Amino acid sequence: MSRKEENRTITKDGQLLLEKAHRDGVVTAWDRHEAQQPHCGYCEMGLSCRICVMGPCRIDPFKEGPQVGVCGADADIIVARNLGRMIAAGAASHSDHGRDLVEVLENVALGKGEGYGIKDEAKLKKVAAEYGISAEGKDVRMIAGELAHAMQEDYGTRKKALTLISRAPEKRRDIWKKLGIVPRGIDRETSEMMHRTHMGVDNDWVSILLHAMRNALSDGWGGSLIASEVSDILFGTPQPKPTSANVGVLKEDQVNIIVHGHNPVVSEMVLLAAGSDALLDLAVEKGAKGINVAGVCCTGNELLMRHGVPMAGNHLTTELVLATGAVEMMIVDYQCIMPSLGTVASCYHTKMISTSDKAKFPGMEHREFYPDNAREMAQTLVKEAVENYGRRGEIYLPVAPVDAVGGFSVEAILGALGGTPGPLLDAIKAGKIRGAAGVVGCNNPKIKQDYGHVTLIRRLIENDILVVDTGCAAVATAKAGLKTAEAARFAGPGLQEICGALKIPPVLHMGSCVDNVRILVLASALADALGTDISDLPIAGAAPEWYSEKAAAIGTYFVASGVYTVLGPMPPITGSMNVVKLLTQGLNDVVGATFAVEPDPEKAAVLIRRHIEVKREKLGLSSVKV
Amino acid sequence: MKQIMIHPERCVGCMQCMAACAAAHSRSGHLFAATLESPLPKPRIHVGSGLWEEGFPNRCRHCDPAPCLFACLPGAIFRDEKTNTVRVDPDRCINCASCAMACPFGVIRYHAVPFRGGKKVVAVKCDNCIERQGRGEIPACVEVCKSGALTFEESGEAMKRKTDAVSRSVSAGAEGTELPEGFSLLRAIKKARLQLQERR
Repeated sequence: MSRKEENRTITKDGQLLLEKAHRDGVVTAWDRHEAQQPHCGYCEMGLSCRICVMGPCRIDPFKEGPQVGVCGADADIIVARNLGRMIAAGAASHSDHGRDLVEVLENVALGKGEGYGIKDEAKLKKVAAEYGISAEGKDVRMIAGELAHAMQEDYGTRKKALTLISRAPEKRRDIWKKLGIVPRGIDRETSEMMHRTHMGVDNDWVSILLHAMRNALSDGWGGSLIASEVSDILFGTPQPKPTSANVGVLKEDQVNIIVHGHNPVVSEMVLLAAGSDALLDLAVEKGAKGINVAGVCCTGNELLMRHGVPMAGNHLTTELVLATGAVEMMIVDYQCIMPSLGTVASCYHTKMISTSDKAKFPGMEHREFYPDNAREMAQTLVKEAVENYGRRGEIYLPVAPVDAVGGFSVEAILGALGGTPGPLLDAIKAGKIRGAAGVVGCNNPKIKQDYGHVTLIRRLIENDILVVDTGCAAVATAKAGLKTAEAARFAGPGLQEICGALKIPPVLHMGSCVDNVRILVLASALADALGTDISDLPIAGAAPEWYSEKAAAIGTYFVASGVYTVLGPMPPITGSMNVVKLLTQGLNDVVGATFAVEPDPEKAAVLIRRHIEVKREKLGLSSVKV
Repeated sequence: MKQIMIHPERCVGCMQCMAACAAAHSRSGHLFAATLESPLPKPRIHVGSGLWEEGFPNRCRHCDPAPCLFACLPGAIFRDEKTNTVRVDPDRCINCASCAMACPFGVIRYHAVPFRGGKKVVAVKCDNCIERQGRGEIPACVEVCKSGALTFEESGEAMKRKTDAVSRSVSAGAEGTELPEGFSLLRAIKKARLQLQERR
């Protein structure tokens, strides 16, 4: 193993596959990141503006060259506009994902969408009730139809406030009201952000950033929340299930199908097809012992949460997993799918399939999924994957998978606690658990893969902070072996005791990246139980290896909801120290929480511990100086 | 005589100097049209990546004495005394790479250039934009550099500025770095992040 691989990822499978990829002439995100150095400083600082064609413009950070763009926008305005658009893109992505699920729900109500159905009737009725839809005397399909339509209204312009913000503590909603940032329509806030940042509209950087919070809230309490809730209704609310992680989950003697992307609409159908007797018989006929569906990225997390489907890896593993030579087919939907994948796959026998009308990729065969054809299309694709088994060349599966437990929805966590957050609050009050942290987000070649996630989370649990995680962070800790009940031995004595009593891991997998809303819902439940606001709780958020616009939206709805959030990589804002100071200090007086930026996870852990102890002290609980 | 001066602490790594250099040495002289030419014009200034992934615009120093000039067997490399520019005569160049071996800065490249209606692979390096200077323009790389990492000025003036800056930094009560706060913050975070890669 060369130093280079060790500097790129802490994962053994990653290091060995990087070596193999190099031998095979496969170029990875790390290589491309290196080739991009140095990154353009204007762009890194948020000081370049490509919004209009009087420009493009950039501001000289050294104050000698131009200090304003052609339109007259200064560094503060340009940085704020760029950040606003970044958050708008993130909110749009989650929310569009949510919209697709609502469409499936509508199809189910109409009796279309063969293969889909209502898995969690109780949740359907509960959410419908929140939307003011009575279940009385209505059959399930009718409720589903009414709920789908009510949710579609949340996307539009007819409402003054999104329905599900009712789940936020009253004090929090009052803050939003006072600031004028109550999210109204999911699409409206994104659309308005694009409008405000058009040349000659909102040129007050503070006002742009306030709207950025409103836009992010329309994701966190709107699009993403709808995505999670409708996924639960259609595919079942997650309950704890054993699973496993790393590329070792691929099977030497089975047909391996990887699902990649975010929306369970496609992957659920693939999983269904992979279990069909006819296709299993065909697999045996082709010399395979079975059909193995595994995930990468968040659509994998969706299947893991509900079915215990294993995870082959997270974001930076998506290219490497193909270098095993053991993947018959990779089926992708959308988001975080590197356009390089088709090229990587061309070195092996892997068939690459794109499925969404809005996401096509070079080197992939496009086979569009609709609610109507999904079940049949999944059957066809799995059959093709089985037929591809015979074309497999040499394979390389250098590690054994690591055990993990996933499936901790809010319902599952409250269930483990006996139905109320009481026991968790008691443990926090007693100081056995100091507080809780939500660690979320991506991989980024700027941070050694998984080093940020795993180091931060280990330090937190060592210090009796319960961790919930999602997305690529959740896969990182699964690979690192922190997601089993036995991993409680890595926790401090208090957390260890609680984990032992409840038979839960110290790090709870709460799902995909749209499922970050589950963390908000849990935080609200804790705040309500204490009769306080989210920002008063001894909790924090972190995104140690974030890269995407979606993560920018998530971080912002966390902070706007009152959760102190520590980012690893620096967002493109250092071109305006006004923006930096507002986000890292000023917001505390506005929404009771701020961002911090700390690439070193050891130091980020100290920041979070300190924050949690300060909040404990304010609540009158025992606290220590960090 | 004015010269191109480099102020590495100000390089933001945007690579605009590279694009402008290639365009300035194209047949059309315009960036978009230049990208459609064959052979493709290439930059003679190269932005490298430093220890902390900061940019550095690396270009010919027009050394005197110039090692490349001495190493050039066919005598294709010569000095334009008026502008103190080390130049290459493509007619005489035999693409032997002796000059690149002699160059301590790695700023001589070999690629096809338009030559007598066709193309020829020769040694290519910075020519101080002699043609542009002849038209009363400043070198292309300096013109596009908005952060002041590249300047075109009398060396005496630049030296005086630097001397004054150093003097101010040792004045009683002087406040550390002159770099803007946001730029220093970005650099500090990048450095911290890169040091993490080495951590075991």
